[in-house]
Amino acid sequence: MTSKRYYLIVIVSLILASVLQLIPTSAAWLPWKPNFLLLMVIGWITFQPNHWGIGFAAFVGFLTDLVFRSPLGLHVFLFVFIGAVPYLLSGWLIYFNVIHRCVLVFILIIFSGFLSNFMYSVWGVPVGYGDVPLGAISSVLIWPLIDRFLVKVHEKRR
Amino acid sequence: MFVKSSSTIRKVVIFFLIAFGMMTIHYYTNWFSSIEKLADRSIRPVNWIANIPLRIEGWADLRSTDRSVIEKENLRLKQESLIYRGQLQRMAELAAENLRLRLLLNATELLTDSILVTEVIGVSPSPQSHTLSIDRGLQDGAYVGQPILDAEGLMGQIISVFDNHSVALLITDNTHAIPVQVLRNGMRSIAEGTSDYNNIQLRFLSPTADIREGDELVSSGLGGRFPPGYPVGSVLSIEKIEGKEFLEINVQPAAEIDRSKHLLLVFTSQDGSRNGNVQ
Repeated sequence: MTSKRYYLIVIVSLILASVLQLIPTSAAWLPWKPNFLLLMVIGWITFQPNHWGIGFAAFVGFLTDLVFRSPLGLHVFLFVFIGAVPYLLSGWLIYFNVIHRCVLVFILIIFSGFLSNFMYSVWGVPVGYGDVPLGAISSVLIWPLIDRFLVKVHEKRR
Repeated sequence: MFVKSSSTIRKVVIFFLIAFGMMTIHYYTNWFSSIEKLADRSIRPVNWIANIPLRIEGWADLRSTDRSVIEKENLRLKQESLIYRGQLQRMAELAAENLRLRLLLNATELLTDSILVTEVIGVSPSPQSHTLSIDRGLQDGAYVGQPILDAEGLMGQIISVFDNHSVALLITDNTHAIPVQVLRNGMRSIAEGTSDYNNIQLRFLSPTADIREGDELVSSGLGGRFPPGYPVGSVLSIEKIEGKEFLEINVQPAAEIDRSKHLLLVFTSQDGSRNGNVQ
């Protein structure tokens, strides 16, 4: 796979994640919406840690702040925090199977949700901690698709 | 491994400092407003793509609906329109009478409103930020602070205007507050958003306040931002919490905040050209 094609895939994946994030959802289903952009960050860092690291997580976090219209810096903080975990564990994660990675993704998304809600509550925004696991469950359900796609890209890249 | 860990932690700390710096600047200043406006403008094509599933759903609904059902609906809408026109004539008569009485009392003339139909083109994906994008902007005369409604009641107000689209803050956003009054007795209060699409709360009402479950709330017009008399919601529950000075009053918004696709922009005669018409 050429470098040009590889970078194009990364850019398209981020655009697609932004589009999926922006699809209008009713209030009842909103807590179930996966954090597609965070999943892409975890995915690219897990499978390509030499190319995508903390700076990449910070950049996508900034992009997410703009997409979510959240206070600038909030998702930079969250994504850097969460992205650091697969970056530090990347040497091992690649040898895990998809179920193990699902478990890790579930824990990371739960942690990210609680941290995000905590940050909002510091600013006085009412938050519902009970909704956090819902987003984590839906994220884990779609993770195998992302995992499979990234494994294929990783194999072609080698 | 340890080299990677230490350099990673250093990077993480640097980005944390940057992130907290950005959040502090965002919280205390509006230095980032130009970046946010630029992002809003650039994100519009992505919003357009994200709305494709909804458009397909609408198109499929239309295609799959039987012709006879559409004809029946058309007939029902025509009948409804006739009824509303009749009611509007009565309203016009009442408005004229009201104006005459106000003139007799030397009171100021009430502003007349006109409306412009608009469509939702994007919704904030964050549960904490209740904003949406609409397809009307500067070219249509939209302005910051302009109220928006749906068929049921007040939805919110415009906070950013671009050439051909705008961003509106909904009344359920936790940063939003609107002056309201109880329709039954005219008692005034402030309704604040709670980040819940189905709930807003009334603030600073003492336990002796004359308010009941089911009371209808309308905009009071105080502050001059929202025109008076538009439905805001109805009182869902009233709680007296031990040790708290004021009642906790939950209100169900009248507008279908998370479902309405077509909205109305309200222009009062103060705003200029549009006066007493629908576009």
